Amino acid sequence: MDRAFRTLVERTFGDLLTGPVRQRHDETEMRIRPGDVPQVMRTLHDDPALRFEYLGDLAGVDTGDDFQVVYHLYSVVTPDWLRVVADGIPRDQPRIPSITFLWKGAEWMEREAYDMFGLVFEGNRDLRRIYMPDDFVSFPLRKDFHLPDDASRSPGGGVRPMEDAATPADAAATTVRRSATAP
Amino acid sequence: MAAYWNRLSVGSRALLVIVPALLVVGAILTVGIALLLPPLLGFLGANIPLVRFVGAATAIIVMTIPIAFVIIFMELKVIAAMNLRVGPDRVGPYGTFMSVVHGLKVLAKEDFTPRGVDVPIFTMAPIVVFASIPLTLLVIPFAPGLFGQDFNIGLLYFFAIGGMSVVGLMMAGWASFNKYSLLGALRAAAQVISYELPLTLSVVGIIILAGTMSLNSIVQQQAGSLLDWNIWKQPLGFIIFFIAATAEANRTPLDMTEADQELVAGFATEYSGMRFGFFFFAEYVNVFVVSALSAVLFFGGWNAPFDWPFPVTLSLDPGGLGLGLVFLVALAPVVGTIVLGLPFWLLSSRVSTLKALVIGFILFNLLIVGAFLGWAFVSAAWVSGLVWMMLKTFIFVFIFVQMRATLPRVRVDQLMNFAWKWLLPAALLNIFVTAIAVSIVATR
Amino acid sequence: MTTPTRPSLDDPSLTIPLEHAGIFEPIPLARTERQQEFYALKDGEMLLNMGPQHPSTHGVLRVVLKISDEQVVDLDPVLGYLHRGVEKIAENSDFHHIISQLDPLEYVSSLFCEWSPVMSFEKLLDVQVPRRAEYIRVLTGELNRIASHMLFLGWYALDLGGITPILWSFAERDEIVEMLAAITGAKLLFNYFRIGGVNGDLNHEFMSRLGDWMSRAGAQLDAGMGLLNANEIFVRRARGLGVLDRETALRMCTTGPNLRASGVPFDIRRAHPYSVYPELDFEIPTRSEGDSLARYLLRMDEVRQSLRIIDQCLHQMPDGPVMARLPRLLRPRPGRAYSAVEGPRGQYSCYAMSDGTDQPFRLRIHDPSFLHLQLVGLLMPGNLIADTMAIMASLDPVMGGVDK
Repeated sequence: MDRAFRTLVERTFGDLLTGPVRQRHDETEMRIRPGDVPQVMRTLHDDPALRFEYLGDLAGVDTGDDFQVVYHLYSVVTPDWLRVVADGIPRDQPRIPSITFLWKGAEWMEREAYDMFGLVFEGNRDLRRIYMPDDFVSFPLRKDFHLPDDASRSPGGGVRPMEDAATPADAAATTVRRSATAP
Repeated sequence: MAAYWNRLSVGSRALLVIVPALLVVGAILTVGIALLLPPLLGFLGANIPLVRFVGAATAIIVMTIPIAFVIIFMELKVIAAMNLRVGPDRVGPYGTFMSVVHGLKVLAKEDFTPRGVDVPIFTMAPIVVFASIPLTLLVIPFAPGLFGQDFNIGLLYFFAIGGMSVVGLMMAGWASFNKYSLLGALRAAAQVISYELPLTLSVVGIIILAGTMSLNSIVQQQAGSLLDWNIWKQPLGFIIFFIAATAEANRTPLDMTEADQELVAGFATEYSGMRFGFFFFAEYVNVFVVSALSAVLFFGGWNAPFDWPFPVTLSLDPGGLGLGLVFLVALAPVVGTIVLGLPFWLLSSRVSTLKALVIGFILFNLLIVGAFLGWAFVSAAWVSGLVWMMLKTFIFVFIFVQMRATLPRVRVDQLMNFAWKWLLPAALLNIFVTAIAVSIVATR
Repeated sequence: MTTPTRPSLDDPSLTIPLEHAGIFEPIPLARTERQQEFYALKDGEMLLNMGPQHPSTHGVLRVVLKISDEQVVDLDPVLGYLHRGVEKIAENSDFHHIISQLDPLEYVSSLFCEWSPVMSFEKLLDVQVPRRAEYIRVLTGELNRIASHMLFLGWYALDLGGITPILWSFAERDEIVEMLAAITGAKLLFNYFRIGGVNGDLNHEFMSRLGDWMSRAGAQLDAGMGLLNANEIFVRRARGLGVLDRETALRMCTTGPNLRASGVPFDIRRAHPYSVYPELDFEIPTRSEGDSLARYLLRMDEVRQSLRIIDQCLHQMPDGPVMARLPRLLRPRPGRAYSAVEGPRGQYSCYAMSDGTDQPFRLRIHDPSFLHLQLVGLLMPGNLIADTMAIMASLDPVMGGVDK
């Protein structure tokens, strides 16, 4: 734990932080609003006192209520991993600015987060499915993803007959059921 | 009649049908041959070159099969040894039948024609490729008197017919309806045409030296010892020839056309079964052909590298033995078997009498065959010539196989640069130097 | 059963219209900005589909190449053929279980796929790993690194058309995996690291094999490299190919040997030390050229350093237990943990969230191959088709890790 770094982060970002800077083991965690991501990241990347040139990871998280995007950064100024949590992305408007303007390499990680959570990264030039087929309609890592429901709604396949046999809970009324005996 | 027929067994019925039919056919054939043979023989006798050509062409096409099998087996085993592997060792002794089994496998596979291909051209392409390569064997002299045809434009014929294979490759690539095939075919065209130039120019020096394009004459002019070979007069020509021949035969490191890491299998991507087999048959025969040509042009062909140090004159006159010959023929196998088996029977108690006799018989046969071959080698010029020629050819085949196991593939642009910027000027330089040298020698 | 809520995305270009989703209907190709740019073919350009059955796409990668003659203008990798959804699987299995699920990610160096999740679980649980276990982890990890680099050597040569080096390097790799099989019981998917230590101590067979191999490893490595390093064709093909400069490498989140070959001395073993690496003496080889040849040579330098580390591990290894005492059912306190290790391909990291149950709430696996494959799109344009595989092989992605 790098206490000096904690004060540095608190002093640099001040109002942009939505929660206390937490530290555990070799990690320092700061929480920001999703809209502030470009500003915070640019400061972290460009500030000569911070110099976070190295993006370790970009992860989407579904907390059950809303979404988070978690960035892990590394810099030579501190032995800690810096975790930036862009917190409180609403479920019905999952939008967050992209950081591909700083790290072009984040493009695929953002695509993955889009694929798995449906997070829309504004500014990413190539935001489309990366693992799942193009015609897949739901987002598998969301907590409300239910395989028989969601996968069967993808006509391109990806669902086994056993799963297909389960009627989706919200099956469309237009589904025609063929039966030998007329009602 | 019908009731009698019904009582007969199946075999009897067959016999009753076949025997009269054979009699009738035999009678017709006898009469026909008696009538037609004399004019046919007369015709053939009047056209000996035609008979010779047909016979040679047939022999050459038949010859490609063992050649390809031997080279495939060599490739399996040599590359395995270089790769720290064992290679095939289950089919036949030391895996020798592996290539035969490969051939059978290819024959048994489905001959698949994908949708969308240009069917006539797709079908013809392997035939064109396969036909062009063995035909080049026609002019190669294997031994004194053992060659298909001795053209006075033999070398020209060789390159003309050999260059036809690229037409087949282009046909295969174009007709396959596949982008990889197309790329492979275009590469083949570019590569073979580029390398045809240095290949042909590299032997111009030899043509100047020999004054003829007949391969037979070129070999005869190299008669003598090791020092009379063309390699000493044309070292640069040989290097150019060998590199260009590697490209011409589509061998690693210059096998752009079927670079499997890049173009899956190049022009052959869409082929299966025996059509695919034809391409690879042609490739292996091509390796043989190119090796044979190297030996003929630069390494003296069927000439021995040195005179046999122990001149043996065998003046066997079997008739002089009289009645003894009969005894020799009758007793030699028995005596030989016993004499050769005896040491095994005496030295090891685990070898039973029968086993010792079997060993003795095998050894005796080997001895006799060896003696016969040795006699043939010493007394018949064409046998010794063939042995030397094959030895030289297979040394080159071995080098080709070894190169495939050792070297990575060059890139296609490096390949073209090399052909046009280095090989072609070097070949031209070789021609100039040779011409100047020849004219100096001639004027002196 | 609740109805899944769907995002009402107001940008129609980003949503996937259901009516286009039928398998036999053409899927509209041009949707994102990048796709529109890619699929707009100019005169003389054509698309070439490479993979997933292409002989040298390192597993099941599909690359759509846009080519003009033999020159690659642009390319679009299509992933997902090996996607198992391991993050989803991890959310539904308990902490011990997950380790075996993570093995097949990067199947040529599977110890590193275990290492970072195990480390992050240990952080969540505040477990102190015994020192002997840490040494064993480093020892086996470095062996696995050598095995992986040996495979790289072979693959790289094979993609350039040389068929012998892969068998020579496999002889080497085989000895290492035989050794590891002596202690882990498996030759590919080791499943050896446990939360709080490792599964089983070093045994006699391992030690005798290791000692035997260490005495001739350097010479064998030189023999294998001698096939390539002195080969004019190989060097001419690899030099100056796919040059990745320092700034681009950092912008593209490159890690591991690919980053160090571009002149950035970043190695997590030194930059952010974990396990017992601070106690070991080794160097971080760096090269400044950033081309394929540098990436290849750098990996070979790393093998030498790994041999040094193994040697030190054998000398410094303390006695003691190899597992911390832990309950069978692990329920960490709610929290988050991140850990990264330096593997043969770069940074293998894992971000674990716990909500207090015996299953992780979210497990994010970060694999270097994923990002290195992204680099191909940057390095390829302008090169020939022949170099597609050469560049891809020099970046050394493993599709199991890319597709998770």
